[in-house]
Amino acid sequence: MFDTLVRKDRKPIRYLVVDDSVFARKNIIKMLEQFGGQLAGEAGDGCTAITEYDRAKPDVVLMDITMPQMEGIEAAEKIIRNHPEARVIMVSSVGYQENIVAALQKGAKHFVQKPVKPEVLYEVIKYVMGEEAVSMQGAAAGDAQS
Amino acid sequence: MSFFSEDRVSELKDLFFESAAELLQALNEQGLELERRPTDAEVVRSVRRTVHTLKGDSAACGYTALSDLAHELEDALTPELAKARGKRVAEVVLGAADVFQDMLRAYRKNSEPPSGAGLFAEIRALVSRIEAPELTVLAPAKKAINKFEWSEYEKILLQDAGRRGLKVLQLSLAVDPNCTTRAVAWQMVKNTFQDLGTVLLMLPEDAASMEKVDNLFAAIASSFDAEHVAKKCRIPMVICDVVVERLSASEAPPVAAEMEKKDEAKVVPSLPVEEASNDGEPAELGTASLSAAPESTLRVDAEKIDAVLNLVGELIIGKSMLTQSISEFDKKFGRDPLHAKFADVLGFQARVLADLQKSVMKVRMVPVEQLFRRFGRIVRDVAKACGREVRLELAGQNTDLDKSILDTLAEPIAHLVRNAISHGIESPEERAVAGKERFGTVRLNAYHQGNNVVIEVSDDGRGIDREKVIKKAIERGIIQAGEAKNLTEGEALNLIFHSGLSTAEEVTSVAGRGVGMDVVKTVLDRLKGSVAIETEVGQGSTFYLKVPLTLAIIKALMFRSAEKLYAVPLTSVVEIVRATEAEIHRVDQHEVLRLRNEVLTLVRLNRLSGQSEKKSKIFVVVVAVGDRKFGLLVDKLVGEEELVIKALDHHLVSTELVSGASILGDGTVVLILDVQAVVSKLGRARTQEIKSAGATA
Repeated sequence: MFDTLVRKDRKPIRYLVVDDSVFARKNIIKMLEQFGGQLAGEAGDGCTAITEYDRAKPDVVLMDITMPQMEGIEAAEKIIRNHPEARVIMVSSVGYQENIVAALQKGAKHFVQKPVKPEVLYEVIKYVMGEEAVSMQGAAAGDAQS
Repeated sequence: MSFFSEDRVSELKDLFFESAAELLQALNEQGLELERRPTDAEVVRSVRRTVHTLKGDSAACGYTALSDLAHELEDALTPELAKARGKRVAEVVLGAADVFQDMLRAYRKNSEPPSGAGLFAEIRALVSRIEAPELTVLAPAKKAINKFEWSEYEKILLQDAGRRGLKVLQLSLAVDPNCTTRAVAWQMVKNTFQDLGTVLLMLPEDAASMEKVDNLFAAIASSFDAEHVAKKCRIPMVICDVVVERLSASEAPPVAAEMEKKDEAKVVPSLPVEEASNDGEPAELGTASLSAAPESTLRVDAEKIDAVLNLVGELIIGKSMLTQSISEFDKKFGRDPLHAKFADVLGFQARVLADLQKSVMKVRMVPVEQLFRRFGRIVRDVAKACGREVRLELAGQNTDLDKSILDTLAEPIAHLVRNAISHGIESPEERAVAGKERFGTVRLNAYHQGNNVVIEVSDDGRGIDREKVIKKAIERGIIQAGEAKNLTEGEALNLIFHSGLSTAEEVTSVAGRGVGMDVVKTVLDRLKGSVAIETEVGQGSTFYLKVPLTLAIIKALMFRSAEKLYAVPLTSVVEIVRATEAEIHRVDQHEVLRLRNEVLTLVRLNRLSGQSEKKSKIFVVVVAVGDRKFGLLVDKLVGEEELVIKALDHHLVSTELVSGASILGDGTVVLILDVQAVVSKLGRARTQEIKSAGATA
C-alpha cells in the first residue's frame, strides 16, 4: 500500500528503532518493512541506542522519549553531538510537548505522535530524508502488503 | 444592507471597526482582570457583556464568522464556569481577543478571516465537564495567507537586511489544523528555518503564543531558492500550506518605501492604509468619547493633513522671504511711512502663521495612552512566558505626540519592555533572595521636555552590568581591549545598541535575537531622537527615548564658520559665550574652555571642513548632547530662525554630520548640523590623534 522508499543509491533505508516496549518496537518495525526499509538495530534504552548507533550507522533513528536508564532526549542529544548528520525522529505521546520541544532544540529532526499511524510515519520519514531518498512505485523490497 | 448607499455602508463599517477596537481593548483589560480575580462573578459578567456587544455588532455588519465565535464564547461564560475552571477561563478570553483581533484585521481588508476553529474547540473543551479528548474529526486543510503585515519596526529590519545584500524570503505557513502540539510545531518550523538560513523574523515569536494562531509568518535570509525553501517548510503533520515570496532590496515592503520618503521629505508621511492595519489598535481609535458622539468627529486621511502641514512649511519660507524683502526696502526707503504699515502686517501675519502651524500640528497629536494601554497585555504575556511576576505602571498617559512618531515608536518600546522583563527582572525566587518584592515593576512614563517628548521605560530588575557589556563587546571585536578603559559610563552602556551584541547568556524567543537593540537605535535616529540609559546593578535600568514633537519645522540658531552657513536646533543650544584664543587650553588632546565651574570640550567646525585659522575673539555655542555639554567654536553668529527642514538626498551629502538643509528667505541654503554626529566625530578625531601620536612616539 506504500511506495517503497529507498535511498538515492537504491539501497533500502536503514533504521534504528529505540523503545523500551518490545511491542512498540515490533509495531514500528512492521511499518518500516512496509515502506521497504531495513532494520539496522534495536535498542530498549538510551545507552544501548548510542552504542547501536555507533555500530550500525543507520539512516534514521526512531526514538521513544520515556525510557529507563537514559531518557530518549538525552540519548538523542548524545547521538547528535557525536554524529551531527544523524536523523533522529522522536516518538512520543502528546502529553510530553515540552520534552519534544527540548529534543527538537537539541537537534532532533521531527516527531511522531503515539499511537504511530503508518501514513504519518511514512510522510515524516520521507520529509526527514529529503533529497537523500526516492520513492519507487510497486516493487517493494520488504514484506509488502498484498 | 443593500438598501443603503455605498457610502452609508462604508461609514457604518468604519464605525463598527472603531467600536470593535474599543471592545477588544476592553476585552483585553477585562481578561487581565479576570486572571487576577477568576472567581469574581461581576468580572465574568463584564466580559460577557463586552463579548455580547461584539457579537451583536459584527452580526449586524454581516461578519458571521466573528459573531458566531463571539456567540459561542458568550454562551460559555458563566460565573459557574469561572468557578470551576479558574484561570483557564481568562486564558481562553485573552486568546479569543487575539483571534477576534485577527478576524477584524482581515475584515477590514475585505479578506477572508482566519479560522476560529481552534478557539471554537477551546471553548468547547472549557465547557464540557471532562477535558474534551483531542479532536478526532479532521479539520479541513487551511490555505496559507498570502499577505504579510509586518509592523513598521519589522519592515525596517527587513529593509536593513536587504541592504546588507542578504536574500530575504518572506514566508507564510498555515499550521495543519490536525496538529495538536503547536509548541512542537513552532520549534520544528524554527529548526527548519535555521537549517535554511538566518531567521530575521518569526511570528508568533514564541512557542507559547503558537497555541492560538493558525498562521506562522517569518522572514529568513537564505541562499536557497524559494522552491526549495517551500518544500522544506511543508513539514508533514505540521504545516499544510506554504507561501514563499522573495523580497528584493529594491522592492522593500511598501511602508518601508514610505519610510524612505519620510526621510527625504523630513515631513512625517501619512500611512493611511497601514495605520489601519497596525497591530494593537486601529489608527482611528480615538478617545473614549468617540463612539458616544460620532457626529462631532471627522475622520481625515493623514495624508491630507500632511499636505496642509507641507503648505504651512512653504508659507513659513514665504514669510522669511517677505521679511527679507522688507528689510531691503527699509534700507532704501527707511523714512517711508509705509515702513510701519509693513511691519504691522508682517507681525500680524507671523502670529497667524504660528497659530496655523500649531493647530495643524495639534491635529496630528494623540495622547501616548493609545500606545501605553496596549502594554498591559504584552507585559502579561511576556511575563508568563518567562516565568516572572511583573506589574506594569503607567504615568504621563496624557502627553501628546505626533501620531506617526508614536506608531513608529511602538515596536522599539515593546522591544525594551520585553527586554526589561526577560533580561531585567529576576525570577520571583531571585528577587526574594535579593530582598526585593516578588513582583517586578515595569514603568512607562511620558513627559514633555522643551520641544521634545521623553518616554521612559524602566524596570526594577537586575540592571545592566557595564563590565559584562564591555567584555562581550571586546569578545565580539566591536571595540579593542585598549579602548575599553577610556570609555565613559554612557559610552560603555551605549555598546548594547551595537548590532550583534546581546548580553543575554542564551538567546530566548522573547528577547535577545541580537538584532533588536540596534534597531531601537536606528528608529530613534531616524526620528531625530536619542536614547539614553541609566542603570544600577541590582537596582534596575531606565531607558530614556527622546523624540522631537514634530519632524518638519524646527527653531534653529544660525552661524557662520569658515564662510559656510550652518544651523543647529535651538533645543540643543544651552547658551552662547564669547571667548578669546588665550582662554582655550589643551588637555589630553582636547581643546577645552573653562566656563564658570565647568570645563567644556570644544569642537572647531572649521576643522571639520578641513580649514583652520586663528582669531582672537570667538563665539562659543554651548550645546548639550545627552547629559554632556560641548562648545562649538564659530566665527560669526547670524541669528535665530524657524527652519523648514527640506529633503537632503544621501547622494547629495556624503557626510553624516548634516541632518538636513533649509532655504532662507533670500534663497540661501543653510545646512542643519546633527549635533550628536558632530560631537561623536570629535570623539573619533581624538582617538585617531592619540593613535597617531602613539605611532610617532
